[in-house]
Amino acid sequence: MNKKAILIILTALAVVLPFFTGAYVLSIFISIFVFLSLSLSWDMMLRTGQLSFGTAGFFGIGAYASALAVANLGLNPILSIILGGLFSAIIAFALGFVVLRLREIYFAITTLALTHVFSVIIRNLSDITGGASGTILPNAIFNGDPKLIYWAILLITFMVIGISEMFKRTKIRFAINSIRNDETTAKSSGIDVFKYLLLVFVITSAIQGVIGAFYAQQFAFVNPESTFSLNFLLLPIAMALVGGIYTTSGPIIGALILGLISEYLKLLIPYGHLVVYGVIIVLVVLFLPEGIFKSVKKLFASKDNVGSDINAQS
Amino acid sequence: MSLTKKQYIMLFLLALIILIIALWQPHALIYGIQRGSLYALIALPLALVLGILGVLNLAHGEFLTVGLYLSYMLYERFNLDPLLSIIPVVIILSLIGAGIYLLTIKHVLKDGHLNQLLLTFGVSLILIEIINIIWTSRPRNVFTSYSYSSMSIGNFSFGTYEFLYFFMAIAVLILLQLFLKKTRLGQATFAVGQNPRGAKIVGINVSYVYLFVFTLAVAILGLVGAVMLPRTAIFPAVGSPFSLKSFALAAMAGLGNMNGILIAGIGLGIGEAVIKSIPGAGGWADIVFFGVLIAVIIARSYREGN
Amino acid sequence: MPSLETKNVVKKFGGLVATNDLSFSVDNGEILGIIGPNGAGKTTIINLIAGTLPVTSGKIIFSGEDVTNFAAHERNQKGISRTFQTVRPLDDLTAIENIMIGALFGQKMGLKDAREVAKEICKLIGFNNFDRSIDQLTVLELKKIELGRALASDPDLLFLDELMAGLNMEETYELIDVIRKLQKRDLAICVVEHIMKVVKELTSRVIVLDQGQIIAKGPYEEVSQQKNVIAAYLGEDE
Repeated sequence: MNKKAILIILTALAVVLPFFTGAYVLSIFISIFVFLSLSLSWDMMLRTGQLSFGTAGFFGIGAYASALAVANLGLNPILSIILGGLFSAIIAFALGFVVLRLREIYFAITTLALTHVFSVIIRNLSDITGGASGTILPNAIFNGDPKLIYWAILLITFMVIGISEMFKRTKIRFAINSIRNDETTAKSSGIDVFKYLLLVFVITSAIQGVIGAFYAQQFAFVNPESTFSLNFLLLPIAMALVGGIYTTSGPIIGALILGLISEYLKLLIPYGHLVVYGVIIVLVVLFLPEGIFKSVKKLFASKDNVGSDINAQS
Repeated sequence: MSLTKKQYIMLFLLALIILIIALWQPHALIYGIQRGSLYALIALPLALVLGILGVLNLAHGEFLTVGLYLSYMLYERFNLDPLLSIIPVVIILSLIGAGIYLLTIKHVLKDGHLNQLLLTFGVSLILIEIINIIWTSRPRNVFTSYSYSSMSIGNFSFGTYEFLYFFMAIAVLILLQLFLKKTRLGQATFAVGQNPRGAKIVGINVSYVYLFVFTLAVAILGLVGAVMLPRTAIFPAVGSPFSLKSFALAAMAGLGNMNGILIAGIGLGIGEAVIKSIPGAGGWADIVFFGVLIAVIIARSYREGN
Repeated sequence: MPSLETKNVVKKFGGLVATNDLSFSVDNGEILGIIGPNGAGKTTIINLIAGTLPVTSGKIIFSGEDVTNFAAHERNQKGISRTFQTVRPLDDLTAIENIMIGALFGQKMGLKDAREVAKEICKLIGFNNFDRSIDQLTVLELKKIELGRALASDPDLLFLDELMAGLNMEETYELIDVIRKLQKRDLAICVVEHIMKVVKELTSRVIVLDQGQIIAKGPYEEVSQQKNVIAAYLGEDE
């Protein structure tokens, strides 16, 4: 019950935040929510045992689909965000039939290579995409109103959290956990492994596309270099690792911690503040494979357990 | 060097394609051989680490970057010619490589591949960002009198410096194979690559071999970095694309096939150069490696599936 | 009509013949033993029939239907279930949740129904620690979870791959009782076993494999006297 109350208060705080702060703080949180959603989507794929390095790629094509639809077809920016998600989903669906045959290192490398292929294709279709210099939109979404932009990304983030929880609370959880644990057993238990992998791949790619589209509309700008930046891959990974993988709360906590730290570091070291992300990834992989947060929680939990065992015996 | 029948056919096809391109696009051919040799030169150490340690090092390209910057630093501080800086660069980079190996990679050798990929990804980010902190992201150049030397045949002229890559690639290839076959340490390395557990039982110090192989791989990158510098504008991400390109070559050649890496490197190098030379289509050249990489991986998965 | 019938099933790995020209059948309510020395191809047979591996040639008929080209999960949904030699339960699910997986996907049930089914199976196999986490379970309990998961997809044909390995006598007999109960429910059951006592106790018929070939068929008492069978086992020589 207590936990529920805290969640409600936090949610309410997140919703009313724009009434108490200025544009600078909002911009920090907008960026945190962008990376939080990407981080969750990456983690959701990882829960099937598949390490995707394609996050930046689907982010990028979603961004381009949305920006180009607004610039060339005059589509409503809000609808264009949905379009970005749809576009990424369709591409993921088509590629999934081939890519999802791959496992482990081969899946990871292929998704990374796809990211590069996407960006090369977009750079070279310069008639449509504006080539290397990109495309500038006349207007940011909501005319750049930070409050509305904040609420929009907050809504998207809530939806992503909802999807992540759906993955945790329905049949899907059993399927993807089985697949991660042992594919042969999963198949012998009646699980259509490919179907579930495709489902997760398409949904997570759609999320990445939506976030990319939102990002493009927020800054009214896409270009191959910055839109397909590997930061949209590395930062989400670091966040999930810090908070703890295979959970909904992990990427949320990780994004909040790292988002706020890096904002501070950006001021301290203008070039190279991302080194912190690299150090964190390395340290977590080496020492805390369960994530910083989970490990700390376990430390406390183990003390609690001792207590409850004694109670149970008496 | 003993070649299989398949390799002979590959070589023959390559020679045929080269002949056609030589007549059609001589510039692309020369440029392709030069670039392709460089790709192979950089891919060889990646394949070595992948083959012996079983680790795909995503920080591979960044070690090259560090090598380039070390050479640049020696040039800028002490006015040391890049080619003369080979020895200090190789020594310093080897120490850095060995240090990073001992601190990080060594500890995930027994983990799953996912942890290894994440770890080396993290290492690559750290290296890039440290370079960013020290040298900022501004591109840098060195100037040497010899690097733009050229040669003419009739009215057809081309740069000669980059032929160094070709000769180096062949030299490194031969030396590596001699090392693996003729020296005790090399034979031990080969044994570890084939069967680490068996090697341990026979009394080979496996963890020493791993350290040695990783250091050797990084040392080769130092050599390549110093030689590349006169013809390369450097920036923090300059080496990054080489990690994936190297993996593409290693995947194409198949594990343990070092000759194949040179053949594949030159093949793709020429492919890139030919596309670059087509007016208006030059930008598509970057897709060659990634396209081939994806195609090879998927083709392999289908073959295994059946 | 037999529950399972294989017709001239061949499996080759590259040039290596793993199973050659296998033809046998199992009826509902029957327990068939599959025995043979190490590397004879026993687990390969299970893999072929359950769909984990594709056959090189031959046919697999299940309940009168040719399932040779069906994927593993489809065969499970149709009613072919198996346990694995090395149990691989999901450690982030509780005991009963591990069993539920079979019902959720093998029978395409919802969470609620699957939990009910899993509870009933627990009763059948004598397992009570529903909500324990996997790492707190004994070897016997892990085996029961493995069996429970296989049963939860409501199979007509069940393969048990060395289910008794690693158990003591008392535990073995507990599981033998469970298997007898399953037999009464008219399941067709194939047991791969190393422990001959179990084979003797449970099966009405056995097939003996050696190097991928069936070298003998019949009741265990008869077959175990045959010269070629003894030779095959002696050849193993441990």
